[in-house]
Amino acid sequence: MSLAAIARKDFQETVRSRGMIALVALFSLLVAAFAYAVRPTGGNEQFATEVLLSVFIGPVLVTTLVPLVGVVVGYNAVSGERESGSLKLLLSLPHSRADVVFGKVVGRGAALALAVFAGFLLPALVLMVAPVVFNAGAFLGYTVFAAALGVVFVAISVGCSAASSTQRRTLIGGVAIYVLFVILWSTLTGRLVGAASPLVDALPVSATQLRVFLQVSNPTTAVEALSNAFLGQQLFSGETANQQLSAAAMLVFWTLAPPLAGLLKFDADDL
Amino acid sequence: MTAIELRSVTKAFADVTAVHDLDLTVEDGEVYGFLGPNGAGKSTTIDMLLDLVRPTTGTVRVLGADVAADGVEIRRRTGVLPDGFSVYNRLSGRKHVEFAVESKDADDDPDALLDRVGLDGDGDRSAGEYSKGMRQRLALAMALVGDPDLLILDEPSSGLDPAGAKEMREIVRTEADRGATVFFSSHLLGQVDAVCDRVGILRDGELVAEDSVEGLREAVGGEETLEVAAAGADDDAVAAVRALAGVSGVTRDGDDLVVNCASDAKTDVIAALEDAGVAVDDFHTREASLEDLFLAYTEGDAAERDGGVPDSAPDAADDDPVTEEVDR
Repeated sequence: MSLAAIARKDFQETVRSRGMIALVALFSLLVAAFAYAVRPTGGNEQFATEVLLSVFIGPVLVTTLVPLVGVVVGYNAVSGERESGSLKLLLSLPHSRADVVFGKVVGRGAALALAVFAGFLLPALVLMVAPVVFNAGAFLGYTVFAAALGVVFVAISVGCSAASSTQRRTLIGGVAIYVLFVILWSTLTGRLVGAASPLVDALPVSATQLRVFLQVSNPTTAVEALSNAFLGQQLFSGETANQQLSAAAMLVFWTLAPPLAGLLKFDADDL
Repeated sequence: MTAIELRSVTKAFADVTAVHDLDLTVEDGEVYGFLGPNGAGKSTTIDMLLDLVRPTTGTVRVLGADVAADGVEIRRRTGVLPDGFSVYNRLSGRKHVEFAVESKDADDDPDALLDRVGLDGDGDRSAGEYSKGMRQRLALAMALVGDPDLLILDEPSSGLDPAGAKEMREIVRTEADRGATVFFSSHLLGQVDAVCDRVGILRDGELVAEDSVEGLREAVGGEETLEVAAAGADDDAVAAVRALAGVSGVTRDGDDLVVNCASDAKTDVIAALEDAGVAVDDFHTREASLEDLFLAYTEGDAAERDGGVPDSAPDAADDDPVTEEVDR
């Protein structure tokens, strides 16, 4: 199958990428160092894995570095091949342009997920030897959320890459994705809701509801909300169940919509 | 069946019209040489066959199907060696061929294909380390996957040394003997006449000539070019030669004369020169070559003069005095 062939090809290419390996090694070292530095010294065992992840490693490292790795893996996926000319080799074979875009999302997303798991191995070892009870289930579960976060950013970046016809736009797109979702989102959406308050009043939702929705619309916040619920053993239950559902829906949206939008442009272009 | 069929195809980019109202038909099983200087529109035409570039107007059909609608199905039965491609630097040569095999649902042995294009022993190296010629061979191996019905080769010999270019021609020949249609482009005629059934010459996005290699030869044939080292030749001697029956043109460059004449007029030319008191040190003849014709079509104005096959040796560019006719 065509999409699978491209996914495998891109996976093999990505796991050989020095840039990604370096970033993942850095990530792994930072998480391990963090885990060691803030390791609990008291006897409170419950504190250990869950709090470490949701309070320290999550907000400080995962939500900043994992999207960065995702953008690095994805931003040049299509436009880089277009620039170098390997896209000609690729499209000489019986692949549709949709196969190319989604094959790349799958292949590079898988490579990134593998990298995230690899990146959490060293911290896991640190936690095992640290004087606390290591909750392997919580740790592994959290890794899945971190990987999902990375995959979403790969999808957004690949979509942007498919729509970029020049290296310059590609680079701007990659930086913009990171800045928008990781740094500016809450400021921007806050301003937006404030500026549009007359409009918001007309809607059948309150401004607070809208703010919460916009918050979980950001894949970073969405993953944070879900992983914290998971670590608190309230995944898709408890007070925030609805909020979690919209968060999950938004993650699916961000995984599919940007590649589709990018494909629309890519499909119409002369290559 | 027709392997390739372009009907009134025009491709206009923002700044240039690369292909202008092109009609082109390549029959099943043919080896078709698509010639033209760089920038004539060859690659744009090939990109349209592959649906990389969409025509502004006109229809492009390959293997009986419309490229816009059935591109993937067409490419399943087509092998392509693109121009200006690059390889995946981090993947080995064998991985490239494996990828092509997997993409085409074929069952070829990657190592056998690498062998066939002369890359035996290099399959484990990453393609980023390959030389230009080796990359060209690798792309050819990928093109040969699945015994395609149609091979589209864009400047296949670029980057290859003479021996490599010869191997390339042999592979083209073998594929044609197997029954495949071969469509390849080149800006060098020498690579084409040995393997092609038919050639088309593209210039400024228009087909200015199309014929069999023999047909083109005939178009330039019938005349020979006589090159004479004639010390002391003056205007009178030139006039004497020009007056002979069967001589269509004479050019003089110092002591060298170039005479276009019928084959049986050669001895008359030498005799006339000696009568005029010119010492003929040396002379040789050659048939007007396809190269001359090609240059005439792509650089000169033969095409504009009669819009088709010329009735005698065509005007050539200024820097090519061999076929230049001073006077008729």
